[in-house]
Amino acid sequence: MEYKTPLETYTGRVSGVVISKGEKAAKVGGESVLPFHFFEGKIENRPLLALEVYDIEPQGWSESVLQPYKDVVADPIAWANKCLSYGADLICLRLMSTDPAGANAPADKAAATVKRVVSAIKAPVIVYGSGDETKDIEVLVKVAEVCDGEQLLLGPLVKENYEPISKAASAHGHSVIAQTPIDINLEKELNVKLLKSFPPDKIVIDPLSSALGYGMEYSFTIMERTKHIGVMFGDSTMQMPIIADLAAESWKTKQARENKKQGILWESVAALSLLLAGANILVLRHPESCKLMKEVIEGKI
Amino acid sequence: MILIGESIHIISKQVSESTANRNPVVIQDLARRQAQSGADYVDVNLGPARKNPEEVAGWLVKTIQEVVDLPLSIDTMNPIAMEAGLKGCKKRPLLNSSSGRTDSKQNMLPLAKKYNTDVVISVLTDRGCPPDLDSRTESIMETVAHANELGIPNEDIWVDPIILPISADQKQVRESLEFIKILPDLLPGVKSTIGLSNVSNGTPEELRPILNRTLMVMLGRYGLYSAIVDVLDPELVRLNRGEMPNIVDLIYRQMDGGAIDMASLTQEERNYVKTVKVMMGDILYSHAWLES
Repeated sequence: MEYKTPLETYTGRVSGVVISKGEKAAKVGGESVLPFHFFEGKIENRPLLALEVYDIEPQGWSESVLQPYKDVVADPIAWANKCLSYGADLICLRLMSTDPAGANAPADKAAATVKRVVSAIKAPVIVYGSGDETKDIEVLVKVAEVCDGEQLLLGPLVKENYEPISKAASAHGHSVIAQTPIDINLEKELNVKLLKSFPPDKIVIDPLSSALGYGMEYSFTIMERTKHIGVMFGDSTMQMPIIADLAAESWKTKQARENKKQGILWESVAALSLLLAGANILVLRHPESCKLMKEVIEGKI
Repeated sequence: MILIGESIHIISKQVSESTANRNPVVIQDLARRQAQSGADYVDVNLGPARKNPEEVAGWLVKTIQEVVDLPLSIDTMNPIAMEAGLKGCKKRPLLNSSSGRTDSKQNMLPLAKKYNTDVVISVLTDRGCPPDLDSRTESIMETVAHANELGIPNEDIWVDPIILPISADQKQVRESLEFIKILPDLLPGVKSTIGLSNVSNGTPEELRPILNRTLMVMLGRYGLYSAIVDVLDPELVRLNRGEMPNIVDLIYRQMDGGAIDMASLTQEERNYVKTVKVMMGDILYSHAWLES
């Protein structure tokens, strides 16, 4: 009897989200199969690798991950270009200066920084606020206005603040990141609510990414289920690309901070795991992790 | 379906304060309203009853029976409170509940025999709530056999498969349906009950009733004998009395996967169909399940 490869057929497709415009534009998502199932269907876009840039000198980074950026941490443009020289596909600009628990910089100052970085570099930009759900409204709305038409990816939008931020994003042509606390039901709820006034091809899901040894398997499960529900069961409220924002969590761990090699591996193993679970964008910190993931994605290792 | 009114529950602040002060007004009002709304039993949930268990249970039972003529369901994990409550009952009560837990087998089940009551036996074991259908059936077979050895016949046993919140575990809803369906074959003659409102625990308050009602109809289809419910929800009572046959029919059709033309339905009907879909696990639950 002839051998026949058992293949799944899928009913859903992850929407393709375009970040930035013109020559800089990059597309994520668009696959109609599970991650890396090239043998079953089409994966339009490979996962994208982002490296982090802060708009203020980072506090408390361990020496091994600070070292590659030592001469550029005071200048977000130089830092962003450094990331691109390390092979990042795009930049994840984190507006930590605006954190009310820290420097509490005003929204327009942070927005001006975003504008400068976006104008100066030749790659797409993700912009994360500080994560303070109230301050992020001011900050991200301002960024949306100042960078009108740049098609940035803005986040995080949470259930408490998604309305004003998505409204501004919509008015100025940006995409958004919908963030929920590692819970598939809450993830769907936020998507349902967002979809009432926002197009599905401008949303990326951030289900929160825990570090290896600190609950990564929960993030893995949620990402895996998101893909199952979206691609296999065709639930249109769950068919958005996923961002795995794992760098900060990984480098917070005792293990990553102990030494350089362990740190890179700690970040990379989490990244690889979440890639297998279905992440479409990885947010990384160490250039070596970025290089390693690029080799994995390109099938070199 | 026999409805057991759940409103007299120690977790309610009013009930717990009235009980502590031995003030009968709130308790008797709840008892009366539940009786008028169509309750067949009044549940008296004492919780762990750590302080003066005998006195509290006796007082509650007496206070309620002063105003209603219904049988009571005595609901506590404290065997001392349980015994005091059962002793005071004028009509044949329901012991709610015992389980496969060792302490329950030792302290609760014998009370059912001693006072000749009906008794709820849940699938809980020393290891907690069994995670799937197989382990639930295994647990209940064992505990019912133990009850039979004590001289409690199947006819006096009300089996409770335990329903968990749909927001925490969606797939067990379908398993509870399966459990109720196969129960007559597993344990001929036993009755059944379920703490219905737990399915909507964790769901926003205003959305809870439709989950409770829908699940009641679904379980009822497979022969659920009784349920502990919010009897003060008039629509739930009307559904149970067969006064909303269109909705019941719609729920059955969606359970059978029938292609229903949503456009032809009213908003209320659409909501019931969507609720069946999340119950059956056909679509992923979220608090916004009625909105998409």
